[in-house]
Amino acid sequence: MAADPSSKRRKPDPARGAKVSRSPWREQAESYFTHHRKVARDSAGRMWRTPVASLMTWTVMGVALALPVALLLLLTSLQGVSAGWESSARVTAYMKLSASLEQTRALADEIESDGRVAELELVDRDRALAEFRASSGLDDALDYLEENPLPHTLLITPKESARSADGVAALVTFIEGMDGVEQVQVDLGWLQRLNAMTDLLARAVWALAILLAAAVVLVIGNTVRLSIESRRDEILVAKLVGGTDGFVRRPFLYTGAWFGLGGGVVAWVLLQLSLWWLSGPVTRLAELYRSDFSLSSLSVDGALALIIAAMLLGWLGAWVAVKRHLDDIEPGEIAGG
Amino acid sequence: MIEFRQVTKRYDSEHTALRQVNFHLDRGELAFLTGHSGAGKSTLLKLVMVMERPSAGEVVVGGQVLNSLPRRQIPYIRRHIGVVFQNHQLLFDRTVFDNVAMPLEVMGASPRDSGRRVRAALDKVGLLSKEKMNPLQLSGGEQQRVGIARAVVNKPPLLLADEPTGNLDPKLSADIMNLFAQFSQVGVTVLIASHDLALINEMGRRTLTLDQGNLITGGTSLHGGVGGR
Repeated sequence: MAADPSSKRRKPDPARGAKVSRSPWREQAESYFTHHRKVARDSAGRMWRTPVASLMTWTVMGVALALPVALLLLLTSLQGVSAGWESSARVTAYMKLSASLEQTRALADEIESDGRVAELELVDRDRALAEFRASSGLDDALDYLEENPLPHTLLITPKESARSADGVAALVTFIEGMDGVEQVQVDLGWLQRLNAMTDLLARAVWALAILLAAAVVLVIGNTVRLSIESRRDEILVAKLVGGTDGFVRRPFLYTGAWFGLGGGVVAWVLLQLSLWWLSGPVTRLAELYRSDFSLSSLSVDGALALIIAAMLLGWLGAWVAVKRHLDDIEPGEIAGG
Repeated sequence: MIEFRQVTKRYDSEHTALRQVNFHLDRGELAFLTGHSGAGKSTLLKLVMVMERPSAGEVVVGGQVLNSLPRRQIPYIRRHIGVVFQNHQLLFDRTVFDNVAMPLEVMGASPRDSGRRVRAALDKVGLLSKEKMNPLQLSGGEQQRVGIARAVVNKPPLLLADEPTGNLDPKLSADIMNLFAQFSQVGVTVLIASHDLALINEMGRRTLTLDQGNLITGGTSLHGGVGGR
């Protein structure tokens, strides 16, 4: 080998001296970002080269992420229902059967003048019977009754300010104390039960979300560990020529983040598909219950948050693997002498 | 450039790889390191690379005492040391160009700068025309030269070579030795571990000889060319 077979080109002088020329900081920063871009592209490229394996990892992640998010969406929908009902909480006062319509009117005026009442509707017993007849389908049976078994009824809507649990309770006590009132009902019991259930569900969902997030971290950690093993030589050489820990870790952290991105997108697709699949039956069911209940879907912000959270989880998983395995890889042998 | 002061390296109570080794290599000096297998050659190189730490004594490279160097500083020391390995340590998943560019990449050199320097290094070892090939397509001698190009691409002040001519025929070996001599002429300190006594004698340079961990020749000199045998 001649030392300079092509010295006409440029004067090659790879060994002039000790100092490596320092680039100005702008150039340094520029090359730093260039390197990040290169590593990011490279990690993504590696993923594309093994599409089936990558897709499987994405799907595992997607399922693990979609499940808690779906439950959270369901929870939000349920909370929407109870919020809607709370605002329309009504107090129903049933008069004694012996109370006359005049007596009831007087009472109604008195209650209506109370500061806590927004609206009051009097349903006299004849109308109540007519409505019952219409909605119950017990037409014939009712004909056998000798007299109307229903009392006069007052439907009271509290003002906004009195709609708290305490406020409604105070109003109920006030009306119960009045003459001629048989019974006061606030149909909030089922609402409280629903609230208690959604609270419980919320905790369960969060516990599940945390468990599944941990699973995602472990899955990514394991995948990245395999990737570290397969790139052992490269890591050794990088460390031998003076690569810092950060330099060596970078491609794997990007790999984790890309797995997260894929997993987040798969999760989003799964959610949209299941919402689409469920929306018809849910609407029908809600119609049967005369409810405007609908499943809330993921907003654009929500989708973005999901994907970013997925990327962070992927990054975290990679970081765990890198911390556990990469620092163990140290160049040990350079010769056998 | 390299100084060993009473350096002892003990792996365990049974096995002492180096015993109180003293030597000093100046800037621009070229020296051989020789001895039987197990005499401590690779331990000595590893101490310079901070792949191992001495059990006693001080290892000084470029004026810096390496004994207590924090772990995270190690990469910055290695950037000033070019290493040529017997088994090349080339990566076969990338081109010759990318292999040689690695030391520049870890330093964060700009791509423009990097391209220029890689081509200069490849030109120096006569492989400029093969930059786009995979190292697997090259012969053993060519792979070794790629390894040399990688070791010198960032112009390190210190070059270590471990059996660089191990698998090469005499003509190629002489070429490679010439290359090392050229580097030392421009101020690079070169330390070559080798078995090839014929070649070492032919070069007539300072020779550090290890025998069972003791430095038996070449240890006392402060200036080149004295202790050769």
